Amino acid sequence: MARTDYQSSLEELRDDVLYMSEVVAERLREGLDALERKDERLARDVIEGDDEINDMYLELEGTCVDLIALQQPVASDLRFIAASFKIITDLERIADLAVNLGGYTLDAQRDLFPGVDMQRVGRETLAMLESAMAAYADEDIERCFAVAERDEEVDAMCEAASELVVRDLIEGDYLGGGETDDDIESLMQDVSRLLLTIRDLERVGDHAVNVAARTVYMVENDDELLY
Amino acid sequence: MTDNTNPEFAVDESTDDPTTDDMVTGTDVSESVTSSGATMQRDTVVSAENVSVWYNDDRALRDITLDIPEKQVTAMIGPSGCGKSTFLRCINRMNDMIDAARVEGDLYLRTKNVYDDDVDPVALRRRVGMVFQTPNPFPKSIYDNVAYGLKIQNKNGDYDRIVEESLKRAALWDEVSDQLDQSGLELSGGQQQRLCIARAIAPDPEVILMDEPASALDPVATSQIEDLITELAEEYTVVIVTHNMQQAARISNKTAVFLTGGELVEFDDTEKIFENPESQRVEDYITGKFG
Repeated sequence: MARTDYQSSLEELRDDVLYMSEVVAERLREGLDALERKDERLARDVIEGDDEINDMYLELEGTCVDLIALQQPVASDLRFIAASFKIITDLERIADLAVNLGGYTLDAQRDLFPGVDMQRVGRETLAMLESAMAAYADEDIERCFAVAERDEEVDAMCEAASELVVRDLIEGDYLGGGETDDDIESLMQDVSRLLLTIRDLERVGDHAVNVAARTVYMVENDDELLY
Repeated sequence: MTDNTNPEFAVDESTDDPTTDDMVTGTDVSESVTSSGATMQRDTVVSAENVSVWYNDDRALRDITLDIPEKQVTAMIGPSGCGKSTFLRCINRMNDMIDAARVEGDLYLRTKNVYDDDVDPVALRRRVGMVFQTPNPFPKSIYDNVAYGLKIQNKNGDYDRIVEESLKRAALWDEVSDQLDQSGLELSGGQQQRLCIARAIAPDPEVILMDEPASALDPVATSQIEDLITELAEEYTVVIVTHNMQQAARISNKTAVFLTGGELVEFDDTEKIFENPESQRVEDYITGKFG
């Protein structure tokens, strides 16, 4: 095989992207755990760990740019680098969303809507991310489309959760009369935090679909899953 | 193919117009994709049908069939010895000069088979100009280098105007307009190559063949030649052989990939070849896994 150094660089890029995805998945898992257990220490770890992810992202971005500039990749190599370049952006965004979960944990005062199962949604999006990255590693197209289908379920779960919050808010007696401005403010913050959590988890699913879509492009030069 | 009589490169030339009715058929068209993605039809200028070439008993090309579209840049790439230059030289019968070479199959310029008995290779080469790897200006003035082809044709005309226009089209006029009497050999390598391009286009050919035209030039001169090739394709059909795959990717509309054994493995839009080739062998070659 010719260009062995170049081929090694491509393999290294693949390994590094997969490593970044493992770290990001771990952060997401920790963010969900922190939220569930109201574990402020773990939440702070997730927030502080974001710098590490950002550094990884910048380094991999530089690797992709270097490969394009110095090796002039074409065909499947080019698609692999282009896909990886986009996928690391999605991974970095997922890490940001995990940081948000950490922030919500620190801010959370109480569980207002126990009927909303955030953990179930979170576990589903985490599984989507892991499945999308496995598809990237194995160049598995079927798995990519399965990730996209799963996202529809996540969207439905998120929509149902949001509706539940709003309905509960209308029907429930959360303030009970005689409330102060501080009580109202606090309730509003709790509600908006919960809705933001739902939105953020839904976005994790979207980023996982992006990873799957870029993988389909990478393998088959097919943009069917993009948008 | 239809009526072959009286193409201007046949022995008895009768017209200077390359677009006479008998040279354009409604069926000779190639699809090409514009920058906006729209598909448009282009006339085929050069059409090869099962062209094979032997050098003595060695087969250099195997049954090459392809249509080269008008006013586009078509690149031929492949490893050394794959036959790409041999194919290029078939188009204007440069292989005639090699005793051991034997050509089979049909190769049409418009509707005329260039290997028909009544074709005058010298006249053919006025329709199909050529630029070589190493700049090879004549040891004459810049002016005479460009006018040379016209003079040996005893072609009447306004030489001054043709020389100026040819030098302008070759993007050299601004650099040499006040030194036309200077020897072409005194120019830099890049300028010499542009002078050779001016010389090739002075007889107003329809096709320009280029055999690695920038491989002997520095990066700046190479960029100038590449820009020039793109401009030339607005008026001429350019066929270029290059070992530099990135050059093919940068400047060509169509790319033909020849691989060992003289086989044309894939011929398609350049974007398709370099982004998602059909053939695994082409994929392996252009990504450097082979060759």
